[in-house]
Parts: sequence; structure tokens; C-alpha cells
Amino acid sequence: MLSLAWIEELQAFLHPEQIKRNETFHPLGNDGAVTVYPQTEEEIAAVLRYADRHGKKVAIAGRGTKRGFGGQRAQADILLSLERYAGIVEHAAADMTVTVKAGTVFGELQRALAPYRQKVALDPFWPEEATIGGVIAANDSGPKRLGYGSARDSVIGLRVVYPDGTVIRSGGKVVKNVAGYDMNKLFIGAMGTLGVLSEITFKLRPLAKYESVVLLSFPSGDLHDIRSFAVSFLDTMMEPVCFELLNPALAERLTGRPVYTLVIGFEDVESAVHYQEQWVERLRPQTAEMAVFAGTEASAFWRTFYTVAPNGRLAPAENGVEAAVKIGVVNLDVLSVLRESALIADRCHVRLEAHGGLSHGLCQAYVRGGEKDVLTAIEELRQTAVRLGGYAVVKHLPFSLRQRIDVWGAKPSYVFLLEGIKRKVDPNKTVNDQRFIGGI
Amino acid sequence: MRKRPIATNDPHIQALAGIVGETAILYRKEDLIAYDCDGFTVHRHLPKAVVFPNSTEEVAAIVNYCHKHDLPFLARGAGTGLSGGAIPLNGEVVISLTRMKRLLHVDLENRRAVVEPGFVNLKLTNSVAHRGYYYAPDPSSQYCCTIGGNVAENAGGAHCLKYGVTTNHILGLEVVLPTGEVIEIGGNGVPDPPGYDLLGLLTGSEGTLGIVTKITVRLLKNPEAKQTVLAYFNEVEDASQTVSDIISAGIVPAALEMMDQTAIEAVEAAAFPVGHPKDIAALLLIEVDGISAGIDEQINDILTICRRHRVREVKVAQSEEERARWWANRKTGFGAMGAISPDYLVQDGVIPRSRLPEVLREIAAISRRYGLRIANIFHAGDGNLHPLVLFDASKPGETERALAAGSECLKACAAVGGSITGEHGVGIEKKEEMRFIFTDEEILAQTALRDVFNPKNLLNPGKLFPTPGRCVETKQAPLPVK
Repeated sequence: MLSLAWIEELQAFLHPEQIKRNETFHPLGNDGAVTVYPQTEEEIAAVLRYADRHGKKVAIAGRGTKRGFGGQRAQADILLSLERYAGIVEHAAADMTVTVKAGTVFGELQRALAPYRQKVALDPFWPEEATIGGVIAANDSGPKRLGYGSARDSVIGLRVVYPDGTVIRSGGKVVKNVAGYDMNKLFIGAMGTLGVLSEITFKLRPLAKYESVVLLSFPSGDLHDIRSFAVSFLDTMMEPVCFELLNPALAERLTGRPVYTLVIGFEDVESAVHYQEQWVERLRPQTAEMAVFAGTEASAFWRTFYTVAPNGRLAPAENGVEAAVKIGVVNLDVLSVLRESALIADRCHVRLEAHGGLSHGLCQAYVRGGEKDVLTAIEELRQTAVRLGGYAVVKHLPFSLRQRIDVWGAKPSYVFLLEGIKRKVDPNKTVNDQRFIGGI
Repeated sequence: MRKRPIATNDPHIQALAGIVGETAILYRKEDLIAYDCDGFTVHRHLPKAVVFPNSTEEVAAIVNYCHKHDLPFLARGAGTGLSGGAIPLNGEVVISLTRMKRLLHVDLENRRAVVEPGFVNLKLTNSVAHRGYYYAPDPSSQYCCTIGGNVAENAGGAHCLKYGVTTNHILGLEVVLPTGEVIEIGGNGVPDPPGYDLLGLLTGSEGTLGIVTKITVRLLKNPEAKQTVLAYFNEVEDASQTVSDIISAGIVPAALEMMDQTAIEAVEAAAFPVGHPKDIAALLLIEVDGISAGIDEQINDILTICRRHRVREVKVAQSEEERARWWANRKTGFGAMGAISPDYLVQDGVIPRSRLPEVLREIAAISRRYGLRIANIFHAGDGNLHPLVLFDASKPGETERALAAGSECLKACAAVGGSITGEHGVGIEKKEEMRFIFTDEEILAQTALRDVFNPKNLLNPGKLFPTPGRCVETKQAPLPVK
């Protein structure tokens, strides 16, 4: 065992209470010999500067919901936790912008904005546990991406602590800005490989005056029916904020009925919401069954929905393992992915719950089963995605299995540009080394 | 095309002609003059040559040649850019993409289209309008500007308030890198391609990181209903407060535009007058769209807010024809300045929306200080100001004074936490003003990225970033080609 005497040196810029030695390591990996809890941007910078100068590796974490997402290291030298770096820096209600520290829990921010009838237009998984920094670094988004867009559409400014401790601002606090390169985009979804996100500025959207969720279930199981309904509904001028298809396994968990189910969300003034519900009613196939949830029922549906994904903070499954896979294809190809996923579940003897947005093209598949079966299922999901011109990225998997599979899939032809960017920003590979595509 | 044999001994011209053909290259001085500037006319310089490739392969071959022979080069679309991004300051080889103007693919079921960079913005909407779809980013020059140029500049427009700017609508790009290598990002429009978001980085990089040769864009379905309101105010302050209140009331208009008295004087004297009263201080053009069942409620809220702020007159467009007239009047606003001033310079600052009244006051003060009229015609809902500094270039020193006044307007925006450009780009024009909002370290962080893509800095050099050591460039007289 290497000497850990260097840990004492951290006390030059952190209080002993902000330093915790770790005896055991997390089964999801991405841990540290020591966890540090900076409370200011200066402390974040001091930790990084120290690590960068002394050849130490730093893993970055919020509250750990995404600990199982990528990463080829069981432990870095330092796990930099942003748990104690939380809170709203500035909410300019009249400008509809907010600046928050990275460790702020997503749901807490939304609750602070709600009295102003405002929100961050994002719907990540596990909103009551995930931190803003993690949501942005992992570019998480949920079914309402159709109406809301994704992080790149909402983030207007960042403060990033570079691996050498320099603080770089990108964007600003205005909603429209093309001064210089659009650096915000670079850090969103970069998995913390380019520095620590310190503060994030969002443009806000008004809270909808009224919301409903239409569940349209298709007992016939005929995907052609679903496709033709989707094509005709999406060709109307209705404006659903989500148009997400659940496979039967996931529908069973959420609605009690194991049939393909479309989740169509509307947010608008009440009359406009009801008007759109009527369009669903009018266009739905005879055999499809429709249920409408509004108000608190709709909120309850979504609260459950956002907890269907695996969460790195929860105890690992007792029997077998659990994986989450994000699959990107062109919009309507989501149907093919979901159809294929049922076959894969049978072939690989796994439980496979999946959902995908027919008008944004992202699917999430949650796989549970024996180790080998889960790995095979992931491979087959990936083959399906690639055949459709898309990709599959493993968002959650125990560390031991991540070493047996390529979490990110094939490198793109332009990987040299990604490597070049990493080299410029983090030449010593100090932050989140090997957490990203191509071993970046 | 008429064949015109190459009459020069310049081996570079001959080699480039060998790639694109003798009919697709300009190199004589008289042919090059049209390419010595773009929509920003203060600086001019002749290019070495202008080539008109017809395919990605030809673009790649040209770039490869320039890269090997250390020739600076840049890409150009319709040349409507307002910050000088396509001006060949260093005698660049200009790669004009106007022949690559095909609409390659339309897939309405998946709401996307694939275009070549020279395809004109408005043509895309026109191509899908019969099915009820459109392409959202709508810069005022959309009838002639190209989508390739829109990507380079991350172009905005009046309707970006609700629907976002170009970057929010780009799903995939084929790019010729400055070394001549061709890459494809985002493929056929798959969301979130794994890896750093190069789509986001390239969009708005002002042609310094690569040349886009194929673009996959998102199409939107037309809103079911649309209503447009015109409101006249006796006080700028009241109009500004109305903007602020509309935004904070939770209404997201599709567009929220403002013009002040000087701007109104110009548009009424130009090609598309609509009969705005001449004695009002400001007008707002407000558009809401969406589900028909919810539109009236939004319009009523807007009318109430206007009245609360002493609106003099407010009306809702009664027909599509009336709406179109109001918009033609607004969208030709910059050019309309020609009706009241020999020259004008448009600025593009952005401010937090609640600071509108104080920044407009500051701009009025700048106008008085410099003895130059400044018209304001802008995207108020975004806080994206367009002060138009009116001047006469034939009067000695007035151009310099106008530039200085424009720069002060940007300083005023930066001072309230804003930005120096919301949609026109930095180009040559605002290079030095980058220092109003970025530290040296932040500028270095950006140029470090440029070095990854453009290691020899041959692609559009001298744009976007301030000259190290702060040597302010002065107005340059046109120079002959080397």
C-alpha cells in the first residue's frame, strides 16, 4: 500500500472536518482514497491546484446518483464532493435567470423558484437527490425534453474551475450571447473531464398554469398502430411537452398494465390543455385506451417516473445486477429499439424496462439480471442502436462489469479532436481520468 | 458556363483552378472587388482568389491545398454577416459556398432536413410550408442569407425569444477541418452524440474551426394560432417597463420587438411604411403563438400590461396581410436607416432584460456626447439591443466617432452584466471589445480550443479574438492582392 501521508498536506487549505479518509471502496467505483468537501470556489481551486501539481488524480461527485456512469478507476486519489457547495447565488426573477452552486439538489432549486412561478426547464432523473452539477456534467434529461429541450438549451453561463485551479467563465447571465466560442456547450455532458463546474446559470421558463398527463395504452401490442397514431398526432399543431413510449415491462411497473403505453404530457393554460387532450381522443385508434391525470395526480405520476432509473446512492441489487443504457436514434426509430428490447429481454433472460421519446429520439433501458446476461443484453441493445445509425451508452453499471464492456461504445472518427481538447484543458489528466469516451 | 482560360502564372491559382475548374474561380482584381467585405463595410481587403466548389470533396481538396501551402483561407456564404467574419483581411483564398445550395433531404415524420451550406434560410421554410412546417431561426436577412453562414455565426432573429437561436436547431454537421479532413458529427440527427458537444462548439465559431458542408436541422410544426400586437408609447420608459412586465408575468411571446422614435422615422421613410405616428417615443411589436384555445388569454394579459403602462394606442393585427406588413416594416429596419442617414453602424449588445430602461438612457447620453443620432430597433424580449449609430463617412473623422460611440454602447451593456454580441458575432468589429467581458485567461482558454482544430491558424485568421497586447487596429485602406 502506498503511503497516504500526503493527505496531511490537504490541511493547508481545508479544515480537517472537510477531509475524510476512506477505508472501503464503493462497488460502483469512481471513489477516492480520501474524500474532500470544499465549501467555496477557492477551496475547489486549491484542491485541484494541489492535485495537478502533485500528480494526484481527482474524481468529482455531487451526491453520487451517477457514480455508476463511466469510469475505469475503482478509486482516484481524491474524491472531490460538491455536497457542501450548494445554494442559490443569484435569482434575478425579473430577468428569469438563476445562478446556482453545483452541489445544489435539483429539486431544491425548483422549489425555491416555484413561488415566483418559474422553473429550470429540465426534467432529470432522481430530482430529489441529483445535484445540478451532476445533471449538467452528465447531460441528463427526461421525457419532457421534447418541450423543454436539454441542458444545452437552458444553460446560459458557467463558472468552471480548470484542473490547474484557474477559474474560467463561459457564457454569461443574458439569454442570448454569441461572444466568442460557445464554451458552455463544451462542459455540458463532458462528465467532469474538463474541470469542476462551480456555478451554473440557467435561463428560466414560467411554470405552466396547468398540466396533464395522458396515458394511451395499446393492448393490441401492435407497433404499427402506435406508429401511425404517433405520425398523425405529431403532424397536428398540438404541442405536447412529452411523447414518450413505455415498453410493457415499464408500463406494468408504472400503471399496473403490461402493454405498450404512450405518455403524452401537456403544459399550457387549462383550456389549451383540454383542447389538446381532445385531439388525442379524436385521433387514437379504436383499440387504444386513454386515461388522463391532471394536477396532483400528474405530479405523482412524474415523481414515480423519475425514480425508475437506477441510482448510484441506493444499495446494489441483491440478486444479480442492474444497468441503465441510454440509446440515441432518430426519433421514430425509438419504436424499433423498444420492439427489439422485448426480444432481447427474452433471449438474454433479463428484465428490461425501457422508454423512449418518439419525437426526440432518446431511449432509456433498465436491465436487471445475472451478470453475464446483463452484459449480453447491453451488447445486443448496442448492436440494435448502431444498426439504426445510433449509439448506446451505459449510464449505470457496477465497476467490476464496466471493466468487461465498453461503456461508451465505438470511438467516433473525430476522437482525436476530443483528445486534443482534453489535452489542452487537462494535460496531466488530473480530473475524472478515464471517465469518458475513448478513455478520456 | 463560359470557359475562360486561366491567365496567370500564379501556381496557386492554377492549382486551385485544377480542383474546381476554370469557370469556378475568380482571381482578377476587377472580379475580386465584390468580395473585399461582407455586411460590415468599414474594413476592406481583396482576397487572393475566390473559389466556388460544388462538393464536399472539392472543399476538402481546396482546404488541403491551402493547408499544405500555408495559404490563409476562409468560407463565405451570402456575405450578409454584420461583424466582418468573411472579410479577407490577410488576402485569404475565399471559399464561396454559394454553389453548394441543394436541399438534400426532408424527413417530416422525424422533423428534420439536410441542406448544403449555401442553401438560403428562407427557402427551407418555403420548401416545407405546404405541409405546415418551418425552420425557426429567422434572421432579418433570411431571404438571402445562407444556413452555412447561420451556423458559423449562430444566427438569431426576431422569433428566437421562444424558439431559440441556430444552435438550438442544429442536429448534425459534416465539417471539413482546417487540415482538409472531413468529419461527421451527429450523423443523421441522432441526439446527444457521445463525446464533447462539438456541434455546440462549432456553431457560432465564426468560421474559425472548420467549414460546414452539410447541415442537419430540426424543423418545427407551425403553431396553430398566432396573434400580433402593435403598441405605441409616448415614453420609452413605459415601453421598456411593458417588456419587463410581459416577461416576468410568465408570458413567453414568440417575438417582442421594440423601435424608438429615430428608428420609426427611418422605417416610415423607407420601402415598407405602415403609418406609425411620428411623434411616439417607442413602439412594441409583440407576437404570441401556440394552441388557439390559449391565445386569447395571453393577448388579454398583454393588453392589460400595455394599458398599465400608459400605452397610447394598441391594436391586434386583423389579418395575415396586416401582420406581414408590420413585420416587413420591422425586418427591413436596418436598411431603412439609409433613408435618413448616408451611413450607419449597427451594434448588437445584450443586457439582462430588467436593465432596459437604464441602458437605453445611457445610449441616449452616448448619442448626445458624440453628437451622432442613434436609432434603436431591437429584440427587446431577449434584451438584445441594436443601437444604430447614424453617421456620414464623407465627413472627416465621423466614421471613427461612430465606431467609438458603438463601442461605448457595448461597454454600457457589459457594465450591467451583459454581452457585446447577441447574434451578429465578434468578427473583426468587436475583437477588442471581447476584453469588456472576458479576462486574458478566458480568451486564452478559447484560443487553446482553436489550436486543436486549426493548429496553423490558416482558417479565418485574425477574427474573433483581440490582438495580443491590445494594439487597436485602425481603419485599413484596401490593399492590392499579393
